[in-house]
Amino acid sequence: MEERIRKIYIPMTETGFYILFCLRREQHGYGISRQVKKMTGGEVVISPGTMYGTLSKMEKDGLISFVREEEKRKIYCATDLGRQILDIEIRRIERLYQNTHPDRESISISV
Amino acid sequence: MAKSRKTEIKIFTIADYEEEETWLREQHRQGWKLVNTNLPVFYHFVKCEPEDVVYRLDYKNSGEDRNYMQMFQDYGWEYFNSCMGWLYFRKPVSEMDSDMDEEIFSDGESKLDMLEHVLKTRMLPLAAAFLCCLIPGWLRLLGELDGDILAEPLFVIMSLLVFLYVILFIHCGRKFVRLRRKYRK
Repeated sequence: MEERIRKIYIPMTETGFYILFCLRREQHGYGISRQVKKMTGGEVVISPGTMYGTLSKMEKDGLISFVREEEKRKIYCATDLGRQILDIEIRRIERLYQNTHPDRESISISV
Repeated sequence: MAKSRKTEIKIFTIADYEEEETWLREQHRQGWKLVNTNLPVFYHFVKCEPEDVVYRLDYKNSGEDRNYMQMFQDYGWEYFNSCMGWLYFRKPVSEMDSDMDEEIFSDGESKLDMLEHVLKTRMLPLAAAFLCCLIPGWLRLLGELDGDILAEPLFVIMSLLVFLYVILFIHCGRKFVRLRRKYRK
């Protein structure tokens, strides 16, 4: 992995993380936003300007790729590089969690 | 009969978009809905039912595409006007289910991105024109002056322009610094 990409995306912002996490499956911007809202009980809101900008940047950096267009909506999916970064981030967050909850061994991530 | 249309003259610089949003929201609350703008100076309104509607401006000088427009529409934002790279959106408060819904940028980073885009594509060309054309032209005229300044209309006009430019730069510069600090928090 390029040093530049590592520098930008690790560690990741909450917005970036959730977008990439949702893009393990094909999805469009507004779909991601709804999914994140649901997952976080409305705590994490990603506005359209931020969503559009983040998706464009991630596409340019090769973390996600454009799959197809559906009714004027661009559908994206995470690339191998994107999944690699997501894995690194998930491990980092798991470590954070384990170190702050020493009595619990692991967590499960549910969607 | 009461007026059904009006045009307001108001000047917002490239650093005053937040003030512009607030002003447009206030107008709508008083029953005036913005239709379009000619330059960011002439604002054409039509009479409407007073309502609390949030206005937001995005800056995209490179041209927005249909995917971008569709995304804003999905989020419930009505696009209705563009003016010199600025895109105008609005959404009624009654259609929002949280405070965050009234933003088009949910983090400081994307607000900063927009600010930097404005600086690069609007402020820089202005500064370049000022330093490379206006100032040398003005200095040349200054050198050719003899006697009565007011007898040289071109010099008076140029001086006025230089003065306006300086005021504009100071105003925008201070605003940009303040906005940047706010978004970085």
